[in-house]
Amino acid sequence: MHDRIFAGSNLLICTVLAVLAWGYHAPFAYEPVGPRAFPLLLLLLIAGAALYQLFKPLGHAPAKEEPGLDRHVSRKISLCIAAMLAYAAVFEVLGFIPSSVLFAVAMARLYGASGLQSGVGGALIAVGLYLLFDYGLDVPLPLGMLASLEN
Amino acid sequence: MDTLHYLGIGFGVALSPYNLLTAFCGALIGTVVGLLPGLGPVNGVALLIPIAFALGLPPETALILLAAVYLGCEYGGRISSILLNIPGEASAVMTTLDGYPLARQGKAGVALSLSAWSSFIGGTIATLGVVLFAPLLATWAVAFGPAEYFVLMVFAITCLAGMADNKPLKTAVAALIGLFLSCVGIDANSGVYRFTFGSLGLADGIQFVVLVLGLFSVSEILVLLERTHHGQKAVKASGRMLFNFKEGTSVFATNMRSGVVGFVLGVLPGAGATLASAVAYMSEKRMAHKDNRFGKGDLRGLAAPETANSAAACGAMVPMLTLGVPGSGTTAVMLGALTLYNITPGPMLFQSQPDIVWGLIASLFVANVMLIVMNVPMVRVFTRILAVPTWALVPAIAIITSIGVYAVHSTTFDLFLMIGIGICGYALRKLDFSLSAVLLGFILGGMMEENLRRALSLSNGELGILWGSPITLVVWALVALMIALPVIRAWRARKPSAVQVAG
Repeated sequence: MHDRIFAGSNLLICTVLAVLAWGYHAPFAYEPVGPRAFPLLLLLLIAGAALYQLFKPLGHAPAKEEPGLDRHVSRKISLCIAAMLAYAAVFEVLGFIPSSVLFAVAMARLYGASGLQSGVGGALIAVGLYLLFDYGLDVPLPLGMLASLEN
Repeated sequence: MDTLHYLGIGFGVALSPYNLLTAFCGALIGTVVGLLPGLGPVNGVALLIPIAFALGLPPETALILLAAVYLGCEYGGRISSILLNIPGEASAVMTTLDGYPLARQGKAGVALSLSAWSSFIGGTIATLGVVLFAPLLATWAVAFGPAEYFVLMVFAITCLAGMADNKPLKTAVAALIGLFLSCVGIDANSGVYRFTFGSLGLADGIQFVVLVLGLFSVSEILVLLERTHHGQKAVKASGRMLFNFKEGTSVFATNMRSGVVGFVLGVLPGAGATLASAVAYMSEKRMAHKDNRFGKGDLRGLAAPETANSAAACGAMVPMLTLGVPGSGTTAVMLGALTLYNITPGPMLFQSQPDIVWGLIASLFVANVMLIVMNVPMVRVFTRILAVPTWALVPAIAIITSIGVYAVHSTTFDLFLMIGIGICGYALRKLDFSLSAVLLGFILGGMMEENLRRALSLSNGELGILWGSPITLVVWALVALMIALPVIRAWRARKPSAVQVAG
């Protein structure tokens, strides 16, 4: 069932993208193949496969490798995605260290740590990684609101 | 003779103190990454690319680092398989079948050392294979024009789908999605913005580090949420730590056979280490006597997949170096790293930059020796890493991933893009699509379109050039074979007699 939903939405997306791609053409063409041929070819193939998936007869489906989702897990997954999005949003604004401490604490809680564990662990992970990357490996990281503390 | 001469140059590069140190660090990191469930070679290699870049490593050193990590992962994956019954990465799945029972019988030390030795033999056989066949293939591949390359990449994609055992269509769709994603961004030939939706962040195309880490790291983090395995206690590695001479000789033939199988499957585009270890295990099981103890702790069942996956990891270097067509997800990432250094892999690389190619090949030997030396005595240290709880591991992985993505362009747009790709990757994974196929498609996409357009420019739009030469015809025949393979398999599975054979 999920496969058919996926195939259906796949088909829809392919159509939209194909309409978009139809409009691409080069103002000055030196070559016989323009910028739209290859993507259109791919979209056609994907749409074909999606059509087949949508209408193929129900056979005995091969056993799934991935377990299904229950309510509990899907709640945790949406929380996890929300945490990651929030982290990306405050990464530059707050700076690496504060945002990472918050993120690490939240993630640790999500993966089953106790309050104390997540607090101490999160802070250690964030500061440790900052020292490792900024000083040890020369990867510049945003300081954000801590920037004024420097100098 | 030429080969020996170049190999000498290669060892000169690989044995320089700086590169030796790099290989050592890579081997160490690789083993740790490999043994941690949830982190595989693809993530390990992808995470190190921004770091290698930031450190200003020269290309050959960076490549040596990545290759050492790759090999190290194949060594490390076995540790958690044997002690925890949880494969550290996909290609170590078969190792659990006989490795864990052996550990339960108190032979954990023997199993660990014997599997390290098997990995070593596999890696050595395959590296010898690389030395023999890569230059040969490279001289032959010089004759490839754009049309041949295009057809070859079609073959790589169909091979990927044909080899995927039970879901060829889904794998093909995954690869096509990857190919399509490579179209995003400015079209290099005409300057047209494709599928950017007006976003400046996408004008440059999707950065492949963003794609890799989104697909593999973010989706893995989400998968780990549903499988917080607790209550699994590692078997203590006690007793005899080294296998004895008798045990070593009893699996020697297995090692040899599996090494060759692994190398061949590694060279084939899209087959990779996971398939190689499964094939090696199955064929050893079939060849064994009736009174075998496969599945209950047979040493051969342990040696076969470990030999094969290391051999396949090395074998995958052959198509990457000679044709510029990666054979596995991890070599696809390495190829991406090379293009970041403005190096185009392919047959010309052997002539224009022999120190890179041969330095890499020689460092495969070096890394292999280092890994066996490191793995036998240090196994207790590595097992202690397995005790790190998930709640400490996952935030660290998530933050390192974000750093890796941020380091490429220093924009948070890439972070959002990575999360978006990760969510899509997670959904695809839940629907049983292969994420490696998406990645491989993405890496091949740019080259595929480029070669198709170049070929058609040469012929002035005449499609006939795509099947005009003998080489293309041979490759098309192989493509047809690969498309037929799943159909034949499905047909055979429907026949009742096949069920008895399988059972």
